[in-house]
Amino acid sequence: MLDQLAALGQGFLVALQPAKLLFALVGVFLGTAVGVLPGIGPALTVALLLPVTFKMDPTGSLIMFAGIYYGGMYGGSTTSILINTPGESASMITALEGNKMAKAGRGGPALATAALGSFVAGTVATVGLAFFAPALVDLAVQFGPADYFALMVLAFVTVSATFGDSPLRGLTSLFLGLLLGLVGIDALTGQARLTFGVPELLDGVEVTTLAVGLFAVGEALFVASRRKYAPEEIEPVRGSLWMTKEDWKRSWKPWLRGTALGFPIGALPAGGAEIPTFMSYTIEKKLSKHPEEFGKGAIEGVAGPEAANNASAAGTLMPLLTLGLPTSATAAILLAGFQQYGLNPGPLLFAEKPDLVWGLIASLFVANVMLVVLNLPLVGLWVRLLAIPQPWLYAGILVFASVGTIAANPSPVELIMLALFGVLGFLMRRYDYPIAPMVVGLILGPMAETQLRRALAISLGDPAVLIESPLAATLLVIALIALVAPYFLKGLERFKAAED
Amino acid sequence: MTAFGRTLARGLVATVAAVGFATAAFAQMELKIMAPAAPGGGWDQTARAMQAALTQAGAAKSVQVTNVPGAGGTVGLAQFVTGAKGDGSQLMVNGFVMVGAIITNKSPVTLEQVTPIARLTGENQAIVVPANSPIKDAKDLAAALKADPAKVTWAGGSAGGTDHIMVGLFAQAVGVDPTKINYIPFSGGGEALAAILGGKVTAGVSGYGEFEGQIKAGKLRLIGIASDKRAPNVDGPTLKEQGIALEIVNWRSVVAPPGITADQKKALIEAIDKMVKSPQWQETLKAKGWDDAYMAGDAFATFLKNEQTRVGDVLKSIGLAK
Amino acid sequence: MEHAHPGRRPDWAALLIAVGLLALAGVVAWSASAATAGPGYARIGPNAASYVVAAGLAILGLATVVAAFRGDIPKPEAFDPMAVCLILAGLLSLIGVISVGGGFIIAVTLLFALTARAFGRAAFLTDLGIGAALGLIAYLGFTRLLSLSLPQGPLEHLF
Repeated sequence: MLDQLAALGQGFLVALQPAKLLFALVGVFLGTAVGVLPGIGPALTVALLLPVTFKMDPTGSLIMFAGIYYGGMYGGSTTSILINTPGESASMITALEGNKMAKAGRGGPALATAALGSFVAGTVATVGLAFFAPALVDLAVQFGPADYFALMVLAFVTVSATFGDSPLRGLTSLFLGLLLGLVGIDALTGQARLTFGVPELLDGVEVTTLAVGLFAVGEALFVASRRKYAPEEIEPVRGSLWMTKEDWKRSWKPWLRGTALGFPIGALPAGGAEIPTFMSYTIEKKLSKHPEEFGKGAIEGVAGPEAANNASAAGTLMPLLTLGLPTSATAAILLAGFQQYGLNPGPLLFAEKPDLVWGLIASLFVANVMLVVLNLPLVGLWVRLLAIPQPWLYAGILVFASVGTIAANPSPVELIMLALFGVLGFLMRRYDYPIAPMVVGLILGPMAETQLRRALAISLGDPAVLIESPLAATLLVIALIALVAPYFLKGLERFKAAED
Repeated sequence: MTAFGRTLARGLVATVAAVGFATAAFAQMELKIMAPAAPGGGWDQTARAMQAALTQAGAAKSVQVTNVPGAGGTVGLAQFVTGAKGDGSQLMVNGFVMVGAIITNKSPVTLEQVTPIARLTGENQAIVVPANSPIKDAKDLAAALKADPAKVTWAGGSAGGTDHIMVGLFAQAVGVDPTKINYIPFSGGGEALAAILGGKVTAGVSGYGEFEGQIKAGKLRLIGIASDKRAPNVDGPTLKEQGIALEIVNWRSVVAPPGITADQKKALIEAIDKMVKSPQWQETLKAKGWDDAYMAGDAFATFLKNEQTRVGDVLKSIGLAK
Repeated sequence: MEHAHPGRRPDWAALLIAVGLLALAGVVAWSASAATAGPGYARIGPNAASYVVAAGLAILGLATVVAAFRGDIPKPEAFDPMAVCLILAGLLSLIGVISVGGGFIIAVTLLFALTARAFGRAAFLTDLGIGAALGLIAYLGFTRLLSLSLPQGPLEHLF
């Protein structure tokens, strides 16, 4: 532990040089600026800005990298909150509550709790990365397909938190998402499903296209269609621009809980950032003293998932640095960044290049601080975006949404899908179907199916494999309890009421 | 002077040299390179590395990279064959993966229709097992596979991709029915590597570079690489020297549209030749860990034809194509 | 959103939703039955998930029929079809212009102006100008700074 502290101190000496601080600031700025484009998530942001860092020495460039990475993540949440346009799948949940807050004049506190939550999560998770990486990684590798499947089952149970007031409509939305998840090449056999001979569909439905279509395009259609009857009132600021004492009180626990979910799941080689955000949202809704505010702009629903999202990003770095395992698209790009300096992340990196590894970890801290320094003052400016007259605001949002889609994949098929999902989002709003479960279904469905079939392929079709691992069994039991407990408790209450 | 500065200076020297020799038309060429994949992936990186090397070596005046992602590159291929027909200023990056994708995706457009220009890079394919596995070498692995092919689980990349094809070839080479292999596809290298390290599967197949760190750290055992002779950067045997006739290279290449004139083809081959020999390109290969597998013109055309037949046969034998 | 009283006439819109869900279930099940099972030891092939989804959609479709008769699906409020059509026209011209090679800037210009129109702006020409400026800035930013390719058309070749 002491060795690690000393090494980290050395790392800070590198990262705190004025020139390096400047790199961090520039990185955060560029990352945020590119990351706000929907469809351009942190991975693509880093990929696009990689050439900018070629021109520097390894440490400077890695520091800038860290800045771009965190900036890109934060950029995604900014658009989710302000214009209901999730830049990446992991910030979809942020849009649920964040955008409602923004439309009610509470965009300032929403952005602030996202930034501070990211900061807290990033810092705590980076500490975890620095001190527990080797031990945790050995555990993470032991996670097999059956354990992942159990984790997915648990995640599915949490979806009901996004259902709104009708299980029928919630489940319908979820199954539409599962249906979209079937489209494309089956990962295990390479067989095409529901592609109807359209080659562009072979890669499946892009999550951001669905999310941006349902959220941003659907919303624009809905608001326009209602304009003459119930015009939407958007106030950029009502009450305080900053977080009030009450906001702080309601935010700090979700930040920590989100971190506790995001970091370990992010560290799993196939954990991802989406599952912890779904789980965090569910838990916050369950624990909140104001569950009635969920769906209308509850600050816990922004604070928790945002922290989970960022903690999982730091978690991803753990297998990358210690094993050389790129477990997310962003990590793969970061790996490419390492390799341009002839560095190979992996078991030998900590031993061979300690100064560089610790420099990077220190710069993660620095980038995190920079993110807050840069973005908190910008909150006021961002919120002003909402003061743009409504016709231009929504026209701008649609341009923005389609530009992101075109840049990521310049094919008319992708734009047609965006438009169709927009119409679907509009119709679902009209008939009060929740839209989030559909995106969740598209994300979780294929993941769960792949892990299940992988587990069964390894066991040669023996289903016992699904409960043989103690980890999988535990997760399944938790899922079962989470599923049954609400009904049981309801029954108990009814029973008590009858007694009285 | 920074590394970038040095590169730039070298590039300038090369440019000046190119202008000095300027006899061919290619120095004035304005090229378009299509990467039939999303930005950031292997083909995109190759296209962008070519962009830098071509301009800095003075082999082209300007180069523009476009991305057309989808379906293992077959969406891009279709667009390239129909949209760029007869255009001598367009190129497309492709590779081994596309040969398989065309067959498994039943693409109406094939590589028969393009004009082969050159193979550029290659990567050694390797088979590994966890360090604590009882399997010590290729003979053990072959014996285990013969005993019960179902019990030998293989982790690798997507179904029908290079890794899958290699496992099919391995089974064939040791006399096991390839339809019986228990191949488990993973998306991306990281996930497969985790499954191998965690001992969830018997063996893993991928590019050697993905395993290198783990092999050196003693967490994975290299069973062999699938090249015809030992590679200088690999400390380990080939499969061939262990009596298994299996050779496969994950190559990347560049092709031109159909219907271009012989002169246009010659100019493109010359431009690529100049690029490959430039210090900028050699430096990129080193930085990215790509092996130089340069092979141009007719030799590459023959090679491409043979690969298509071979891959088609394997995919049929593992039941992924008819 | 008002819920109708039970026992009234069925909710035709809800019945339409139910029919849609049942049709989707049919398509998924049909396409799974038409496909061959791939190789593998998992015993669960690529079609199993399709059948699960098809069954789920079918059950939800039937439940929606029941809900339609009980009036459990909310009745949508009045809306302005003109505004929806204008935005759809904007999206269609975006897709159309890009498909025929009209380029990114013209496509974005039309999308912007038509959407603004849907939200009640009368100054269509001004909005065309704003849209064009926005498109140009986005075009230059993406192609010059990020070296991403955007669809080309007559205007793009000028820059």
